[in-house]
Amino acid sequence: MSKVFRLVSIQIGAVLTDMLSIGNSRNKKSKATGYGGLALFIVLMSGVSLMYCSMIASGLKMFNSLELLPVLVMAATSLVSLVTTIFKVKGTIFGFRDYDMVMSLPVSTAGMVASRVILLYAVNMVFTAIIMIPAMLVYGAVAKPGVIYVLISIITLFFIPLVPIVLASVLGTIVAYAASRFRYTNLFHILFSIVMFLGYLFLSMNMGDAGQEFADMSRALTEQVNSTYPLAPLYSKAVIHYDIVAMLMFIGISLLAFLLYTLVIGKCFKWLNSKMLTGSTRTKFKMGELKARSPFFAVYWKEMKRFFSTPIYVLNTGFGVILLTLGALALLFVTSPLADLLNLHFKIEEILSMPQFSGMLGSFGPLFVSFFIMMSSTTMASISLEGKNLWILKSLPVSTKTIFHAKIAVNLAILSPILLDIVIIGFVLNYDLIQGLIIILTTIVCSIFVSVYGLLVNLKFPNFDWTTETTVVKQSAAALVCVLTGMGIVGLQYLLIYLIPNTSLAYFIYIGLMAIVDCILYHKLMVYGTSRFREF
Amino acid sequence: MLSIRNFSKSYSRDKKAVDNLNLEVAGGDIFGFIGHNGAGKTTTIRAIVGVLDFEEGDILVDGISIKKDPLACKKAIAYIPDNPDLYAHLTGIAYLNFIGDIFEVNKFDRETLIEKYADAFSLTDNLGDSIASYSHGMKQKLAIIAALIHRPRLLVLDEPFVGLDPKASHTLKAIMADLCKGGSAIFFSTHVLEVAEKLCNKIAIIKGGKLVACGSTEEVKGDHSLEDVFLELIADEK
Repeated sequence: MSKVFRLVSIQIGAVLTDMLSIGNSRNKKSKATGYGGLALFIVLMSGVSLMYCSMIASGLKMFNSLELLPVLVMAATSLVSLVTTIFKVKGTIFGFRDYDMVMSLPVSTAGMVASRVILLYAVNMVFTAIIMIPAMLVYGAVAKPGVIYVLISIITLFFIPLVPIVLASVLGTIVAYAASRFRYTNLFHILFSIVMFLGYLFLSMNMGDAGQEFADMSRALTEQVNSTYPLAPLYSKAVIHYDIVAMLMFIGISLLAFLLYTLVIGKCFKWLNSKMLTGSTRTKFKMGELKARSPFFAVYWKEMKRFFSTPIYVLNTGFGVILLTLGALALLFVTSPLADLLNLHFKIEEILSMPQFSGMLGSFGPLFVSFFIMMSSTTMASISLEGKNLWILKSLPVSTKTIFHAKIAVNLAILSPILLDIVIIGFVLNYDLIQGLIIILTTIVCSIFVSVYGLLVNLKFPNFDWTTETTVVKQSAAALVCVLTGMGIVGLQYLLIYLIPNTSLAYFIYIGLMAIVDCILYHKLMVYGTSRFREF
Repeated sequence: MLSIRNFSKSYSRDKKAVDNLNLEVAGGDIFGFIGHNGAGKTTTIRAIVGVLDFEEGDILVDGISIKKDPLACKKAIAYIPDNPDLYAHLTGIAYLNFIGDIFEVNKFDRETLIEKYADAFSLTDNLGDSIASYSHGMKQKLAIIAALIHRPRLLVLDEPFVGLDPKASHTLKAIMADLCKGGSAIFFSTHVLEVAEKLCNKIAIIKGGKLVACGSTEEVKGDHSLEDVFLELIADEK
């Protein structure tokens, strides 16, 4: 057992090192800064969670449904755990890079599986605690439930992540295994994940519609939560009504599912890993005509290949574009004569027919677009993703400027469908010339910002020693800084619209400021970025 | 072809990884760079090919400073590291074509040379496969082919024979000899002293970052075997 915990501690160390980009740092100060930053982030996120829970609690109190708070937050936490864990399965349980080295150690397969599953549990437990503890505190402070509530809440807390991990692992394994059997593995992985996510979204929206029929708001919400997550009623009974049988059932089902999963995975761990690590090979290659490109397009094409060969990269940085495109297409569809012909009626159509909502959507359109663009930086990981391949770019006769331009061009190309989206949005929402100009200019300045800023941040916080791409794309310091900055900028944009009565003027001020920032950042990239790249 | 002048590199304040290194490699030379683990071989090689930045001294390729005009130098160089981590997401042929694009090799030369060297290393059948599915030796062969398709004037290799099968090693040695006949220079590090002794016309031995021997193979080894000379030179002074 000590070997298992030793393995877990090493893996957690590796996750933290990857996350904080301190892989190469021998400097105690930078390590301390990294850990300090992480602690600050946890405190910050707990604060945000506390704020949200307080807001939800006051909303629920108005409907006399405060008892829904713990179960609502628990279901939401489980759902987010489920979605985020699906993409961690490949790289943690299967297909991890150091498989050969780890499997050659004198540790049993069961021990190895246990160490991997415990790692997933530990990561999810931290996330669960960040969300659930503030919810527990808020409910405790507002409803004043008593000591038994505290006891049951604390006991059940440790079992909340188990079922989401099991479900995510099963789904993640199916996706990864099925994908590994196809020639276009990564494309399959990406498409399957998107279809799965959209399927879930569609399903939960349908459930939401059914809920609308209930006159009682509280009942409607309960039905919604219970249908989204079947363990929710047990949790609710245990925490709110102190039902010990329900608590034991909640714990029992969670534990049983987890143990069963661990046993099954233990049985097929080696088999699945071998299947996933051996890529499919084509038939004998025959030399044909080769296509020649310029050095810039060669690097651009290589970057594009990198992007589409890493599902987590596509899903994490391209999902905003996909969602916006699907949203724009849906907007076009629901307002088209075809929808009438098929007798399809959507709530959005009713909303659009109301002048005040239509006007609001028109005013906030560029803000929404900014938000989706800010979440779509591919450059924030493109330096780190060079990883052990960095020597290739550094030894080739291609200038740093060309490399940076190619990486920026890829980000802009990934964002390019948004140009079509804004045309659709403008068309559906009847934008006038000024509104059209605003949304086009906003798209341009934000796209340049997110591409150049992402690259600069990644140059500042690189991580070349990663073991899975997930740590670079989702959990790195660069990713965190980029997402937080993006949110901050969208917040500032909203503040400008809020403070300046003339919305168009507010947008033009924002566009002007962003254009200046873009120029400054590009200059910094060419000066600081180039010398920084030489240091690696 | 390659001139290393007073080159020094340190990773920490108190210790130099390479200390005041001076070397000359002429066209047609096969230059063996020998040293114990951590002697400074890879540091020197990484600085020559422009992967590693340095402050002290200079390195000239064809009379051009790698510090002042790295692109011009890199156009003349081909580099094969000791552990070639190549783009796993590309196929073998896509990687070779990428290298061809960067070095602006014309289509005819590109196709002809890829075919020639891939056949020589028995890799043609696998060029359509993803590099992720390649063994260490296959990656090494692919890196060698990529290095050769742009006809480098200076070939820099770090432990090139590690991971190669005997046939591929033999092929590489023959290609190295051919390149030198054509006027190119080869600078490589190795721990296989028998290979260095047979293949190289010049040898340098580095110890603790400092050059302890340099010259023609005959001058360096004298009447002894290279192994004896090497062991004697790197033995700790007590």
